[in-house]
Amino acid sequence: MIERIIQALNDLQICKYSIQEIRSRSAEAFYVRRRQDLKRRTTLTDYTVSVYRDFEKDGRRFTGDSSVPVYPGMEESELKESLRTAYHAASFVTNPCYPLVSGSKEAPVPSQSGFAGKSPEENLKAVAEAIFAAEDTEDVFINSAEIFAEQWTSRVINSSGVDVSWENWNLNGEYVIQCLSPADVETHHTFSLREPDLAILQKEVADAMTRTKDRARADKPPKGGRYTVILSEEHVDTLLSYYVSRSDASRVYQHYSDYAPGQAVQGEEIRGDALTVILKAAAPYDLQGVPLHDRTLLENGVLQTIHGAPRFCYYLGIEPTGIYRSIQVPTGSTPLAEMKKQPYLHIVSFSDFQMDSFSGHFGGEIRLAYLFDGETVKTVTGGSVNGILPEVQGQMIFSKERCRSARYDGPLAVSIRNVTVAGIDGE
Amino acid sequence: MKVKDSPYISRNRALFQKLLRTLLEEYPYASVLAADSREKTYSVNRRLTSIRGGGMMSARGFVARVFDGSRWSEHSFNEISEELLPAIAAQIRETAAMSERILPDGIRENVYAAPDDAQNTFRGSTEYEIDPEQTGDDAVLARLREIRDRGLAYSDRLLDCSVQVNWNRTSKLFLSPGKDLEQNILWTTASVSAVAARGQEIKNSRRSLSLLGGMELLDQLGKQAEETAATAMELLDSAPMPAGEYECVCTPEVTGMIVHEAFGHGVEMDMFVKKRARAEQYVGRYVASPLVTMHDGAVSASQTGSYFFDDEGTMAKDTIVIDKGILKTGISDYQSAMILGTEPTGNGRRESYRRKAYTRMTNTWFEGGSDRVEDMIASISYGFLLEEPSSGMEDPKNWGIQCMVNIAREIRDGRLTGRIFSPIVLTGYVPDLLKSITMMSPAPELSGGGFCGKGYKEWVKVSDGGPYVKARIRLG
Repeated sequence: MIERIIQALNDLQICKYSIQEIRSRSAEAFYVRRRQDLKRRTTLTDYTVSVYRDFEKDGRRFTGDSSVPVYPGMEESELKESLRTAYHAASFVTNPCYPLVSGSKEAPVPSQSGFAGKSPEENLKAVAEAIFAAEDTEDVFINSAEIFAEQWTSRVINSSGVDVSWENWNLNGEYVIQCLSPADVETHHTFSLREPDLAILQKEVADAMTRTKDRARADKPPKGGRYTVILSEEHVDTLLSYYVSRSDASRVYQHYSDYAPGQAVQGEEIRGDALTVILKAAAPYDLQGVPLHDRTLLENGVLQTIHGAPRFCYYLGIEPTGIYRSIQVPTGSTPLAEMKKQPYLHIVSFSDFQMDSFSGHFGGEIRLAYLFDGETVKTVTGGSVNGILPEVQGQMIFSKERCRSARYDGPLAVSIRNVTVAGIDGE
Repeated sequence: MKVKDSPYISRNRALFQKLLRTLLEEYPYASVLAADSREKTYSVNRRLTSIRGGGMMSARGFVARVFDGSRWSEHSFNEISEELLPAIAAQIRETAAMSERILPDGIRENVYAAPDDAQNTFRGSTEYEIDPEQTGDDAVLARLREIRDRGLAYSDRLLDCSVQVNWNRTSKLFLSPGKDLEQNILWTTASVSAVAARGQEIKNSRRSLSLLGGMELLDQLGKQAEETAATAMELLDSAPMPAGEYECVCTPEVTGMIVHEAFGHGVEMDMFVKKRARAEQYVGRYVASPLVTMHDGAVSASQTGSYFFDDEGTMAKDTIVIDKGILKTGISDYQSAMILGTEPTGNGRRESYRRKAYTRMTNTWFEGGSDRVEDMIASISYGFLLEEPSSGMEDPKNWGIQCMVNIAREIRDGRLTGRIFSPIVLTGYVPDLLKSITMMSPAPELSGGGFCGKGYKEWVKVSDGGPYVKARIRLG
């Protein structure tokens, strides 16, 4: 199909283009209690063609672009009409000039994942075994689960010589744990694995069962006020996504962020841990063919890199870094147990923890938290967290313990002082 | 004008029918869903312009669903031809037989009775006034730039004003032994968002519009620019929300989010099957104020959640979920209805042909009441007018509420004071909130600017709304 697309582009005299091909297959299973309810597989090939048009208007030079999906087996006339329409549209897109990423034909990069070499079905079964290894009890059990075993090969070709391809694996899904007494409650959990960390997954399910039991005992929100809040696991990733978003080249170019390399973005006065963040290359290239390698985003609270799509990097006059989807954060020096010697509110489950990268606002409704008042630990549910990261970022303390997922490898927990919590009595 | 058939589906109809016949030689029931969807998104802001064909809802592909006498399986693919048919049939067979390779020890398969596949033939198309594909890219961009410039002109402290319009034309063909259904749907959405800055502080405001139709939507978009810009500027002077429980007036958009997130997800009956929805135990009981009547259905309103039949071949309905405060029924896909022994309500929807069908909402809304908005505000000694919902998350099991709202306008002694608070997290217990509704304005308004997820995935287009309502809500 790629040859047909290139031929059509040549016939239409479109000489600046980029083609993405993604060939994917998956095996999927859906469970209700300990029964498989449905099985699915997918076999798909997707193409996206972006066309670019350099032109001059009112004495200014522009690069217009537009993209279209192309489907396998598309007839010649429909393919050409789609590309022609996109190229016409590009003539009205008045963005400043930019070049495409240049490169050469490179050898395909096989996946280094431990999932590679097995079929999606085999990997699906291994993950299902890890999830269902946790013993059900009469009171606490896996209510339902979904597993998606996905393998895909991406290829990027452009008119500036790039021709790269690579393979990826991801095993992802969700499981719901239900506890019947003393109250009938559930907790919802997602997972996303690039490596077969099945023992970790199995432990996470077991921990989720313990937490769900705790959730069943929690019946009141915390009292409203200001707390030392501990966030853990995926919520640490969500919190730190603020720095990744603010340092994105498209944000900086559009003046939505004033981040610049060398800037102390964690503030001038850091009383807690200074933050270091690494952008991790989860694939050898991004979807525009930019080679990816690990880059330091923040070092001790100071921004090192503006990152993003090559076009925006070009506009800013910086090296095109490509687009990253994962971060690594060095663990802190404070054990979680040490953090918990002082009063805290450790929120382990939100309805939906949100981080607004414009305002720095973070918050969400509390589904389960552990409240230590200096004497006893109570489980609480309800109420909400409402914080502004730039106001509290200098006081973050990161745990010595680590957690790892497809998107995040870093401290298990972060402790933040003086966060507003709306609770049972208001504040 | 009516939306035309997909030439691709029309051209290949015989091929889809042949695939179905091949599967029925082996299985007691099979269905084939073919989808052909096109979309285009235009956007402009201060520095950038974009025209993008394709997107999350744009796809051409197929899903074959097979019932082998007791178990279900599905295979999704996106290439078909006469030559490929034997290989496709072999893949579908392999999928139907893959359980022995994937079942962990101790896990069995659910067993189903044969589906009831009543005979039905249907062709339907929605209508539009202005064809987006005939409007012209330059004309659309010129209109968006004009709206953007009106927004930017509001204040030189505005960092940006972004304007976007997106249309989607989806054709579907559903074939089974009893059914031959074909539909063509066109919806269009648009939004204006403004970003204001003061030093490090950045605030944004966003409004969206939608309709079941075409580019006639652009005529409604113009006046949004100044209002959105004004709100973004106001937000720079907003204060943090003092936590507490307050008398509130919700705009139709906020009502819609409460209807959808707080209650709608809780009546999705695939959650009844999993015993994940508290609502199952409340059918026939009061769950809301007697003022509340709630609908869901693809034919309950003309909006972005509208269609004629769902992705399992069930015709769309208008389901009254809550009637004068009493929970009457949930909404369901076909498979859930089979298990529960209920009638499917035409709510079996897929994100695309690539994904499983779940019970999903469509157009979900509260009927109107008889109160004037000014009387609602006048009735409050201290409280807030809530505007601009931003996100929400369901909690069907525990009926907890989490909705995020961008603006709370202070009401004191029956008047808006001009003070605003932002951002706001709505929390509480769903029936407490719904039972606290004491006033509703007459005219429900629906909008479908966003997408609905099941948890954090499976995005489908929906609309929601209702009238202005007065209720008691915990804010933080």
